[in-house]
Formats: sequence, C-alpha cells, structure tokens
Amino acid sequence: MNSSLLETQGLGLCISQRWLFRNLDISIPPQSFVGVTGPSGVGKTSLLRLLARDLQADEGKVCSHLQSGQNTAMIFQDLQLADGASALNNALGGCLGRHSGISTFFNFPTPEKEAANNWLEKFGLAGKSRQWASTLSRGERQRLAICRTLLSNPRLLLADEPVASLDSEWAGKTLQILKDSQTQKGGSLVCSLHDEDQVQRFADFVLRLHPSDPTSWSWETLTKRTES
Amino acid sequence: MELGNPHKADRIMKPDLPWHSRFDLLGVTFLLFLAAALGALPAIEGSGRDLDYLGNLSRFAAQFFPPDWSILDRTLAGLLETVQIALVSTLLAIFLSFIISLGASRNVSPAWLLWPTRMLLNMIRTIPSLLWALLAVVIVGSNSLAGVIALTLYSVGYLAKFFSETFESADLSAQKALQSLGAGRLQAFQYGLWPNARPIIWSHCLWMLEYNVRSASIIGYVGAGGIGLHLKLYAESADSWNKFSLVLLCILVIVTLLDFAGEKIRKSIRDKLEGTES
Repeated sequence: MNSSLLETQGLGLCISQRWLFRNLDISIPPQSFVGVTGPSGVGKTSLLRLLARDLQADEGKVCSHLQSGQNTAMIFQDLQLADGASALNNALGGCLGRHSGISTFFNFPTPEKEAANNWLEKFGLAGKSRQWASTLSRGERQRLAICRTLLSNPRLLLADEPVASLDSEWAGKTLQILKDSQTQKGGSLVCSLHDEDQVQRFADFVLRLHPSDPTSWSWETLTKRTES
Repeated sequence: MELGNPHKADRIMKPDLPWHSRFDLLGVTFLLFLAAALGALPAIEGSGRDLDYLGNLSRFAAQFFPPDWSILDRTLAGLLETVQIALVSTLLAIFLSFIISLGASRNVSPAWLLWPTRMLLNMIRTIPSLLWALLAVVIVGSNSLAGVIALTLYSVGYLAKFFSETFESADLSAQKALQSLGAGRLQAFQYGLWPNARPIIWSHCLWMLEYNVRSASIIGYVGAGGIGLHLKLYAESADSWNKFSLVLLCILVIVTLLDFAGEKIRKSIRDKLEGTES
C-alpha cells in the first residue's frame, strides 16, 4: 500500500519557452494540507492543472495512487460557474459524475439536494440557493464554486487560490472547512495561497516556487502550533 | 517650443503608419458599401413622366382618413387569427430549431453533420416568408394551417442559426468545469452550457414571435390565413382605403405592444444575467 495519494517524479513544465519548474519531486500524503506559494505567474495554477491531468508535463510524470472510485477535483481560480443557473443547481453540478444523464435529466436525487443545501448553508449561501449565480457577489460566487467541488466528494482536492476574493473571516473559515472535510475522509488538499499567515496556520507542508530559477523550488514540513 | 505641441513626442515615438494600414476590415467594407451604393444610384429611375408627386401622395393619403371603425370587430377577429398563427408557428419553430441548432453548432456537432445542417439552414433562409406561404397554400389549401407551416419553416431558418450561434458564443467554462468534475457530455451541456445560453435563446424566441406577428399579417395576402386577407380585399376595392387604414392601425397597436413587452422582458433578462439586478 502506497503512503501517498499522488506523487510527481522529475516533473517539469515549459510554457512559452520558459521553464516554470523542473525536477519537481513531491509526494502528497493522505490527510494533509499542502500549500503552494510563490509570486503571481510563477506557475501555481499550471502545477495544479498538471496534478489534475488537465495539462501535459514537458518532462517527468504525475503518479496517482488513488484507488478506483476515488477522484481528484479542482476549485478553479476563475470559478467557471453557470451564470444563468441557480446557486443550488451550480452546486449540484458537483454530483453529476455519480449519476447517469437520464437520472439527472429532470431533477437531482433528494439526498444530493440535501447534501448540496448543507454545503450552501455551511458557506453562508442558504438564503441564496434559488438566485442565479450571476446575481451573487464575487465572494459568494467563490464560495459557491467551492460548494460545487466539495459535493463531488474528492479524495484529492486541488484548490487554486480558493480564498482570493474572500474577506479574512470567510477565508479562515473556508480553509478550515476544506481542511476538515478532506482530512476526515482520509483525503488531502493541495491549495495555492498568497497569504503567508494562512500557509503557516493551515498547511502541513508547503511547496515554494521561485520565479528566478525553475529548479530552486523548496518543500517544507510545517510544525503545527496547537490552536487554543 | 516643444511644449506647444503635445503630440510631437508621440510622433517621434510612433512613426506615422503608411496610409493603407489605417484601413481595417471595418473601414474597407464600409468604403466598399458606400461605393457600391453610390454606384447603384443611376439604376434608380423614375417613370419619366411629369407627375405631381406631392399632390398624388396627399390625395392618396387623404383616402386613409378617417379610419372606418365599423369593421373593428371583423378586424379584431382577423388579428386574433394572425396572432394565433404567429404563436403556434413560433412554438413549433423553437422546438425544431433547438434540435437543428445542435447539429449546426461547431462546439456540439461533428463536421459531417455541421456543414450539411448549415447548408440546409441557408437554403431555408433563401426563401422569403411570402414564398413559403405560397408553397404551403398550394399544398394544404388556403387556410391558417398554411400560414403556420410557412412561418414555422421560415422561422426555423433564422432561429436555428441564432441558437447555434448562441451555443457557439456562450461561456463554455462551466461546461468544461463540470466535465472535469466527472459529468458526461449531456450533463455538462444541460447544467453548464444551457443555463448560460438559455436567457439569450429566450430573447431570440421573443424577437421571433414579434417578427412572426408582423409576417403573419402579410401572408394572408396569398391566402395563408390571418389579417392579410382583409388587407388584400380592402386594397383591391377602390374605395376602401379607410378600412385598410383601420387594419393597419390595429396591426400597429399589436406590434407596438409586443415590441414594448419584448424589450422589457429582454432588458430584465439582460440585467439579471449581468448581475445588475437581483
């Protein structure tokens, strides 16, 4: 049995003739929060897309040790919501992978609707579930995108700056919910973050990418302070 | 001295472009249009006779007034039939167009289906509604069913094109996001693309309904039902221009009402989609 959910071996990505990172060897252990940091444009989003198999690596590879039925899901930086659909239907989009097109053609199964409503409530969107996504504020849209991805119940959650549009209270709350929901089911979370305080507070490991040298990335284990 | 010419620095930084590079596609097509329109002027000829244009117009227009209100009941009945033809044909056209538009959308349909479907739509659009009406009257006889058939076919040519363009230009990101979360093609279309396209599609449907009420008013001229038959009868009898004007007045009222309602609905859809109204 492998002790990691996912690992990379000598991973490298070159975009527009510039190497973002090379020789990247990391391993994502179960029940862990991995923070990815670095200045804008350093390649955080590209790395997450590589881990999600949405991009092809230019060298090295990504090895998944997830068992069948366990999935990877991503929270996109640009949210990618359906503007003309209600918040509830957007959130329910996360459960589509578990059901056939026919069974979700007219309606969603009741347990899924209950689960979606639970997530919406947790993220302060309970009163807005019938509203079109286009009418929500940026922060609400970001929380809605998180609900959708969480409903897909991923073992490995890849979050691309999931708290960028949230105020500090919701940012902390959101990261805590993400961390709890992943660790409780033995899953992990890889999350790109800009705020060093958030990294120190929530991450178990941190991958730092540097813009000057694609091979000078660093991987640190953070010792957790016990929260009072 | 340079202070007196604020553009000088710009000119030094950015050497003047050659004259022809200032014409982009927009400029060139506008110039071509202008040249062609002016070139077409000699083709427009009068009868060559020395006619009193203004006198003719005022004598003819005077016959329209006052409108003959005694035929209001008959006119309203004809108008109702016109609206009914427009409603039924628009509904049928929406249904058919939705299916056909999927075949004509680049991001939904395979190439072997795409081009034949687009060709078919081009062919349908080539035929004007009055000609469709003539064809339908020949096939099913002179009645409102002919009007429904004619306007349905005519509308499909436009609506299916509008729908497919909407599917092609709609925001695809939600569809892709759902696929990455495990949704199938149909599910990603239904819950990712369709909600983004639906408001615009509904806008097109309302526009088509307005358009069809206008069209349904004239196809009766060739026997395809509705108020057009009244127009034809009054136009052909020499002294009925005041009845003709009442029919026109009624059409104007209904079209204006529809236009007003359609614009209101379209605006509220637009506002909701842009998030400027909750």
